[in-house]
Amino acid sequence: MNCDFCYNNEATIHLIKIQGASVERINICKECAKDFSFFSEEDFYNDLARILYKFFNISTNDHHTGRDKKILRSISYGRNRKCPFCGIDLKTIKKIGRVGCSSCYSEFKDVLFPIIKSIQGSLENKGKIPVNTSRKIKLEKNIRDLRHRLKNEVIIENFEEAARIRDKIKKLEKNRYDR
Amino acid sequence: MTGKNFYLLENKTSKNKSESNKNKIILNTRVRLARNLTDYKFTSICDSQEKNILLKKIKRYVEEIKELKDFRFYSVKSLGKIQRDLLFKDYLITPGMANRMQGKGLFVKYGQDRGESSAIMINEEDHLRIQSVRPGLNISEAYEEVIEIEKYFEKKLSFAFDRNLGYLTASPINLGTALRVSVIAHLPVLAVSTRIADFVKKLNQVGCLINGYFMGNSEVIGNLFKISNLVTLGKGEEDIVEEMKAICLNIIDDEEYARKKLKESDLLGIKDNIYRSFGLLKYAKILSYEESLELLSIIRLGLDLDIIRGVNDFDYFELINKISDSHIILDLEISSSVTDDELDSIRADLIRKKILKGTD
Repeated sequence: MNCDFCYNNEATIHLIKIQGASVERINICKECAKDFSFFSEEDFYNDLARILYKFFNISTNDHHTGRDKKILRSISYGRNRKCPFCGIDLKTIKKIGRVGCSSCYSEFKDVLFPIIKSIQGSLENKGKIPVNTSRKIKLEKNIRDLRHRLKNEVIIENFEEAARIRDKIKKLEKNRYDR
Repeated sequence: MTGKNFYLLENKTSKNKSESNKNKIILNTRVRLARNLTDYKFTSICDSQEKNILLKKIKRYVEEIKELKDFRFYSVKSLGKIQRDLLFKDYLITPGMANRMQGKGLFVKYGQDRGESSAIMINEEDHLRIQSVRPGLNISEAYEEVIEIEKYFEKKLSFAFDRNLGYLTASPINLGTALRVSVIAHLPVLAVSTRIADFVKKLNQVGCLINGYFMGNSEVIGNLFKISNLVTLGKGEEDIVEEMKAICLNIIDDEEYARKKLKESDLLGIKDNIYRSFGLLKYAKILSYEESLELLSIIRLGLDLDIIRGVNDFDYFELINKISDSHIILDLEISSSVTDDELDSIRADLIRKKILKGTD
């Protein structure tokens, strides 16, 4: 099996990253691994451009899955697309490994979300939300947290608590639609 | 040990400062939050004028907040090269920030303990980065501090946020909580053991990034490793904090186990190694920074294992932060035209004074 990075040498190191339900395999040769093992934090972040490049490239090499095809299409159509707010284009994002403004994430959603998913393993924020966020988002976040708790309670067969949470969710959802 | 036991351990260390010195495997904790303002371009593509406007705005806010009056402001571009190097070593600025300094600012507060600091970084990779550093293992305390500082900003500034992606950051690596917890671990025995590969694999599996803290050509110097959470999206802040705590506890266990095994299997070999390092530190006239780190790491191990006599107990992390070229030049007010050999000789003397018994 050839190395995922240089494509030349025989890969001798096989990394398997398991995150949630997704399993990702990376095959590296000894030479490329030198660059990767124990690199400093700065290198890692600067290397994001390279990681992004890798994901972009894999999507052009791999035609098997529908998802990858989708990424490929969006890149070839939108190669020179620009973000209307900050003016950055995809090529620059790819080069610097950073987006130009908060609107870039929605503007280039089709390209960025699969990449974010592969880096973070999730596209669902479970962290805190700003105090001045709209009530609607807060409500949604509440419901999401409760659903998460509900699932956990069901797993440990604590059905009494689960039922209580379920009723709470129902109430909150009714609120959401009434609004 | 369970997370609960670990929590007790941490509470104890925060109440009693001398306790935190007992933990000589996790030497330092850093917690960092990243935030960007809505309606502004990210720093990556701002020109210096835009950065200066933002810097002024944020600076004014900080100065208005009375709880933050202990923070001192530095404009990065007005600092000298050595001061910038020190800030870089303290992780208060990134190398990118040290080079492209226009419109970048920094608020810092140093705590009473050496190695304790809080900082607000402006116009780094993100508009705002809030960081708290604590000696030893103190993730909760550092986390609570950054969240408290963030609250002051949250009242007045509107942060870029998306309900799916969380806090929006310039790099997709920080999305979600934009919370990075990192610790510095001293792992002299694990680093040379055959189990290091498994150890690194295990950390990667639980979503951790491990790097050498000081790097030579390709190897780690001084057996210091920096371990941080890789994933910031899809987990809550508390989850990240609790997970990192549990992981640190595991790291301590792994290193302690490796030390115990080594002591059982090759006591003479390790004694030889420690006393050889001691001999070098005691008599060498010229010590480079790298060599000092390597030797001090082994001496520290000798103290931890209760093998060596004639050496003062010392804080490894604190000491290595006193003996870098920049620290020596700044602390001793030496002209920066000093030669490398002169610096190495001053360093050798400094270390001897600090660790040899009866030389103080």
